[in-house]
Amino acid sequence: MSLSLSIALLLPVLLLSPLFLGAETQIRFVTWKSQFPKVWDQAIADFEAANPGIKVTREIGPHSSTDFHDLVTQKLKNRDPEMDVFFMDVIWPAEFAAAGWALPLDRYFPPAERGKFLVAPILANTYRGQIYGVPLFIDAGMLYYRKDLLAQYGFSPPRTWPELVAQAKAVLAKANDPQLTGFSGQFKQYEGLICNMMEYVLGNGGALWDADALKGTLHRPEVVEAVRFVRDRIIGEISPRGVLAYQEPESLALFAQGRAVFHRNWPYAWEIANDPERSRVAGKVGMTVLPAFPGGKSVSTLGGWQLGISRFSRKPDLAWRFVSFMSSPRMQKQIALYGGRAPALRALYRDADILKKRPEFETQFDTFVNAVPRPRTPVYVPLSNIMQRFFSSAIALRDSNIESLARSASRDMDRVLDLLREGTRP
Amino acid sequence: MKGAQRVASYYVLPSLVFVLLFSLYPIFESFRLSFYRLILALPWLGQRFVGWENYGDLVTDPVAMQSLGTTLLFVAVTAPLEVVLGLSMALVLNESFRGRALLRAIVLVPWAIPTVVSSQMWRFIFNDRYGLINFFLFGEATHLYLAPLAEPDLAVLAIMTADIWKTSSFAALIILAGLQTIPDELYEAASIDGASAWQKFHHITLPLLKPALLLALLFRTIDALRVFDLVFVMTQGGPADATNVLQFYGYKKTFAEGMIGYGSAIAVVVFFLSLVLSLLYIRLLGARILERSER
Repeated sequence: MSLSLSIALLLPVLLLSPLFLGAETQIRFVTWKSQFPKVWDQAIADFEAANPGIKVTREIGPHSSTDFHDLVTQKLKNRDPEMDVFFMDVIWPAEFAAAGWALPLDRYFPPAERGKFLVAPILANTYRGQIYGVPLFIDAGMLYYRKDLLAQYGFSPPRTWPELVAQAKAVLAKANDPQLTGFSGQFKQYEGLICNMMEYVLGNGGALWDADALKGTLHRPEVVEAVRFVRDRIIGEISPRGVLAYQEPESLALFAQGRAVFHRNWPYAWEIANDPERSRVAGKVGMTVLPAFPGGKSVSTLGGWQLGISRFSRKPDLAWRFVSFMSSPRMQKQIALYGGRAPALRALYRDADILKKRPEFETQFDTFVNAVPRPRTPVYVPLSNIMQRFFSSAIALRDSNIESLARSASRDMDRVLDLLREGTRP
Repeated sequence: MKGAQRVASYYVLPSLVFVLLFSLYPIFESFRLSFYRLILALPWLGQRFVGWENYGDLVTDPVAMQSLGTTLLFVAVTAPLEVVLGLSMALVLNESFRGRALLRAIVLVPWAIPTVVSSQMWRFIFNDRYGLINFFLFGEATHLYLAPLAEPDLAVLAIMTADIWKTSSFAALIILAGLQTIPDELYEAASIDGASAWQKFHHITLPLLKPALLLALLFRTIDALRVFDLVFVMTQGGPADATNVLQFYGYKKTFAEGMIGYGSAIAVVVFFLSLVLSLLYIRLLGARILERSER
């Protein structure tokens, strides 16, 4: 073998070797692009300072939960040993647990520790009696409104959805501003559409599906009625058609530019809507619980993110050290103070510093505690895709046949749910 | 002669191994998996052989059939338009004028930009509040602004536009190469015979350009059949599932839902669609090219 050839063959090995030499002390954390990057930079710097010799490498994935899911599951499916810690949306733990992708954390995260967290997110991370993730912060749908506009026209925040539509129309009629719209939410065909629609559907007494009978329920009249309300009253009367292509950032931008009277979003929007550098309506924003339907209860979708450890990680102990640091009271407090996210630890809602900087958490606490999770199932993603298709088709076309779309969506969901009756689970 | 051939086959070996490993093996594997029911989220159901069941489901799946329709419509609209636009660009670029070299380079820019980047750009252009399209159409009259990505029909058009913008220049490149093989003598002879510009184009350029045009059409058709990244970035299949093309549906089934068997069946269908179309085009291209390579 000639010298140059051996060099050519050896070169890649030599170039790559530093990666392997340092591998023992690296933790790879797959995360998404945050709206508050400084908080996360700081958190990781703090961890590295407290754990000399351990380096956290971040891999930044897409902002959309749907896209992020595809990235993380791709790595898990390939049994990628490089990924140690990853973010999980509140709907994923059941899937990741059933597929054998997420490491059960029972030996690290005993029930006594879990008791310090809010109940709903712990439940969301539990599958068949084992725990698969540590909740870092939680989300719940909130209603944002323009305090100044409502006051100007003599309204108080709406208690019901029809009231919200009426107020929005009245403000639009009087304000005489062609740029102003009534309501902005997330109605693009993606996971956020389920979160938004669920609030109307459950608020109207419906359900996404019957988790006990394993049957689709979208064809039921309560559901159809709620969907029709969104199509005809929300999209049809007070929202710009553009919301049908909006995720969180676009819908928040509309509100923050002062172009929407009402806005549905997660708690993080409060920080941005009131930041004079990022919002034209800073100080003019109010926040309250989402409206209900007359005679019904307000429903808020539970969201939020957890840290999970890959079953294929070669250093689960180090990974746990990172997870436990990130979910510690100290870090959750930092995230709550500077990241606009609501902590998953109960005690922090009585923390003096947090309440001083975020008095809104006190009013939000009930919403957080009562927020409704999407039903837990390993086949959540196929079900969600059917529902996304249904909701988007039903609301994006003005003359959609909601009943017939709903019947066929229910049937499709029945077929997916039937899979759960098959075989014996380990 | 024999020895030379053996040496030649050694030279081919590395690329053969490469093709086998990275092209044929995955195709074979997709084909095999498409006969199984394998759902990643439900590992206890195992990997069960189901014969043609996935294909049967596919034919009766209205979503799959609708996405097949969307895909074919996309191909039928974009591929011919791209070739026509590419032809006009190539004709211009084939003339000699000052700055031709620069213009040739500029025309290729859309094709050189990664699709993910250009899709993102088009998403902004089609934005309902600050999009350039709205500004050109309506200027200050913001209350007239359209939301192209929020209306099912317009969203399909938006994706087609982005594709045509991006890949017409690729067609132009192939056609330009074809134009340059047409000898000048033919045009000179035609001029002496008093042929008009249209007659020259009709009787000389078009017939001699046929292989290049068909090649451009072939490439564009196959590429358009596999459209994915535009949809992924611009619409995620929505609104109302209007832009849910077959490749995107297959991707969702395989990578998001973990329905490996069914997703593979979709991939196999797309594979055979492109294969059949390729064979058709190769026939159309005429035996000439193939014969030449056999000789």
